[in-house]
Amino acid sequence: MRLATLDRKLLRDLKRLRTQAIAVSSVLACGVALFVMATGMYDSLERSRDTYYDSARMADVAVSVVRAPDPVANDLAELPGVNALEARVSGIGLLDLAGKSDPVSARLVSLPADRHPRVNDVLLRAGRWPDPTRDNEVLINEAFAEANYLAPGAQLRALIYGRYRMLDVVGIASSPEFVFAVAPGAMLPEPERFGVVWMGREALGRAFNVDGAFNDVVFRLAPGADARETIFAIDTRLARHGGRGAYARDRMLSAQFLADELSSLRTMASILPPIFLLVAVFLLNVSLSRLVATERSNIGLLKSFGYGNVSIAIHYAKFAIVFALLGAALGVLVGRYLGGYMAAIYTKIYRIPNLAFDAKLHVYVWAVAVSLFAALLGAAQAVMRAVRLPPAAALAPPAPVSFGRLGQGIENAARNLDGKTRMVARRIARFPRRSATTVVGIMLALALLITSQHFPISMNHIVDVTFGVAQRMDATLTFAETADDRILAEVGRLPGVVSVEPLRAAEVVLTAGSRKRRDTLMGLTEGAYLYRLLDQNMDAVDVRPDGITLSQNLANKLGVRVGDVVSVQATDGHRARADLTVVAVVKPYLAGAAYMELDAFSRALREPGRVSAAYVLMDHNARDALNREVKETPMIAGVSFLDNASASMRKMLNEGSGFFAYMFVVFSCLMAGGVAYSAARVTFAEQERDLATLRVLGFSRREVSYVLLAEIGALLLIALPAGAVLGALLSRWLMAQFQTELFTFPYITQASAYGRSALFVAAAVIGAALAVRRGVDRLDLVGVLKSRE
Amino acid sequence: MSREHSPVFRLVDLRKVYGQGDAAVHALRGVDLEIAEGELLVLLGPSGSGKSTLLNVLGGLDRPTGGSCFFRDIDLASAADADVTQYRRQHVGFVFQFYNLIASLTAQENVELVTEVAPEPMPASEALELVGLGKRLHHFPAQLSGGEQQRVAIARAIAKRPTVLLCDEPTGALDVATGVHVLEAIVTANDKLRTTTLLITHNADIARIGDRVVRFADGHIRSIDPNAQRIPPAELSW
Repeated sequence: MRLATLDRKLLRDLKRLRTQAIAVSSVLACGVALFVMATGMYDSLERSRDTYYDSARMADVAVSVVRAPDPVANDLAELPGVNALEARVSGIGLLDLAGKSDPVSARLVSLPADRHPRVNDVLLRAGRWPDPTRDNEVLINEAFAEANYLAPGAQLRALIYGRYRMLDVVGIASSPEFVFAVAPGAMLPEPERFGVVWMGREALGRAFNVDGAFNDVVFRLAPGADARETIFAIDTRLARHGGRGAYARDRMLSAQFLADELSSLRTMASILPPIFLLVAVFLLNVSLSRLVATERSNIGLLKSFGYGNVSIAIHYAKFAIVFALLGAALGVLVGRYLGGYMAAIYTKIYRIPNLAFDAKLHVYVWAVAVSLFAALLGAAQAVMRAVRLPPAAALAPPAPVSFGRLGQGIENAARNLDGKTRMVARRIARFPRRSATTVVGIMLALALLITSQHFPISMNHIVDVTFGVAQRMDATLTFAETADDRILAEVGRLPGVVSVEPLRAAEVVLTAGSRKRRDTLMGLTEGAYLYRLLDQNMDAVDVRPDGITLSQNLANKLGVRVGDVVSVQATDGHRARADLTVVAVVKPYLAGAAYMELDAFSRALREPGRVSAAYVLMDHNARDALNREVKETPMIAGVSFLDNASASMRKMLNEGSGFFAYMFVVFSCLMAGGVAYSAARVTFAEQERDLATLRVLGFSRREVSYVLLAEIGALLLIALPAGAVLGALLSRWLMAQFQTELFTFPYITQASAYGRSALFVAAAVIGAALAVRRGVDRLDLVGVLKSRE
Repeated sequence: MSREHSPVFRLVDLRKVYGQGDAAVHALRGVDLEIAEGELLVLLGPSGSGKSTLLNVLGGLDRPTGGSCFFRDIDLASAADADVTQYRRQHVGFVFQFYNLIASLTAQENVELVTEVAPEPMPASEALELVGLGKRLHHFPAQLSGGEQQRVAIARAIAKRPTVLLCDEPTGALDVATGVHVLEAIVTANDKLRTTTLLITHNADIARIGDRVVRFADGHIRSIDPNAQRIPPAELSW
């Protein structure tokens, strides 16, 4: 088939413009890649999660209870909205792993004897199901097994309810309940030190001394059921058995983390790709406007031959379409690759079976559509100019570009400039929109780069502050149940313990007007040294006896401010209720809660002299001795060392951010380079004649290159400080966008991040400009001067 | 009229071939010529006869492929690139058919571009005065007529007091009256500054303003004819 002549012209022009096509398409490709990655990953993660939740019957509502006799489960099943339930025995135990000094805690969950759980099913990944006739056979969760190199056949020594017993691991399993398995009181998974152990209902019931009863129920609700009504009914039914208040998925940590992750992906998909696409729009506008300007006489000729406006419009629009398809194709490939990498990171963090990057067709269709839209938008002005060009005018040479003087002030300032510098200054002023495009493009690239560096900085800051300034204990000892405060004296006598501070924590429902939130209320001693609340200036804020202190997050949810009154009701024990005045609002980076002075807390909940955990400061040399002692102390259900927590948090935060920081460096440099290359290309094309003239007049290559490079250099100098300011604003804004229930990302200024980013962007710009500069060496002095413009 | 004979240019068997093999184009097929200081030489000949190629070689814009081309004692055929740039900077003034002014600089600034880097330039205003544009110093090229633009180009070429002024069809794009103004500017420079001047034209009538007329055909010099009397441009009519 023979190509139409215009299309053959198109192909040849494209070949000539290929470097510019690459520059524009690369920027488009970055936007498309981010879009494909974030949207595809969002879809994949959501789909995998929903499929998993569905097939393994993830609980909609959960409740723990002190002890309810088995028949109560039948009553619960009859409650409105309840579709299925599993009454279980569950509790915390300590594991003693060979070769591990630090104690490992475990959540023990019962398995029905002769069937799979009706809710929160357990999926066997390796080994076999425990034999119901053998009390000591257990399943352990996958993440814990991998982190500790445990396989079916392994033996665990477990301290359950004050008694040691040997457990035989017969299988490795996963469950939607523990996609993200977090120890009680911890914020992040530490699979090395926290595991889930499933064992037979009867055996576990005996172990926890709840024979013929249960202490934990998980529910699936009927479609369309009102969760609040059902929760109310459950709480009412379980009140006399010591129900601790039922809660929905939004208070299940594992589900909460997944929801957070999905919302971050959505934020990413909606904010980042448009920035790249916007820059691509500008680039196309500049490149195609230049093309139409140089093709002026061709357009006139085509029109005089009888080509219609539509054919001409289509001809020039095809340039944009080719750029768009090229960008989309490249972007889809890169996006799929990045998505695959992201999925691999996710599978390390989230235990969801079959989690893979699997973007559906609609993601790609959108990617191509968005790319085409951006390209055509960028081309529109140039295409219209070609259409509007009257044929006679198009055939005549263009009027010389008319320059004017800059403002008088600038002219005075420019008086001392040499002629070459004055050329540069007047060109920048003559083409303000194009100069602005270049500046904005470089600014955005710099801002993105600064922002991308900001995440690791912010995360490290969170870890530094949380595990250094706010929390200063060496270890936290969590008691199996709330204990009499005399236990603190015993803790003080443990090996190596230097000082002890108590914590009383309780699940409470906070109410302000019509707003209700279930959260943790922490009772701390006034002037506590080991666990401190901080204000924005990193100064310690003391808990007060005359009221309640809220995290900003919680205060926002309740719509209250300092001075307002909230009603607080405990979900267990006496279920005491108290009206408390908000006396302070603090901004913790990690999962804020509500705080009170310990004695005031005890009075309000009518449970004096009780503690849930102890923070200790200790002699590090005594760590092994302390661990040995703790493993023999039934009242202590778990120990977590601050150094472990901080290390595992850092590890998790850095897992993904390293790669993505690298990706952003590449993307931002592509953007900056693409912008600079296009700008320099156009400047060169427009000035080719002037540059050749300068060469003829006896200016050296270096001097002529200066005219070309000084323009880009001047724009770079404007863009760098402006980009730094934009980067600060964008970082601050994005940090706020990515804030979730569990994390608040602080905005931290770190000069080195700005310096490094500016250096990368400047290098990309200078590299692109130097690539164009090589044209100065190849200037055809004779040819250029002999031709009319 | 003869001037003292100390050659500025000495060309010996100068050759220039573009391309290779069957596609080779012989632009200069062995040119021998001496040009004296202060001389005004007019080059005539049909298109493709080699006159522009010769001008480009003399101006250091193009390199010959054979023979030698001495400017005083520098052989432009073999000089280093940087030396050729220096040569252009210090000794050569160019005037082209299309004026090649920098659109973003005013008339005066276009001239200053050159005077800033020349060793002993005349003030830009003086150069513009010399070509009759003393009142248009601060106009941008887009605000000047074609003839005025060409005169700015001449002012730019002569402001550095060049040793040689090379003009390639400077009146080619202009009407008669305007062309006369431009030629007057060139002749004035030649007279007042004693600048050795080479002027290419298609117009045999213009040849009468020169000291000698060199006729080109097919890469050769066909004839060199001295003019008994130089005619002032104002007396030309074509």
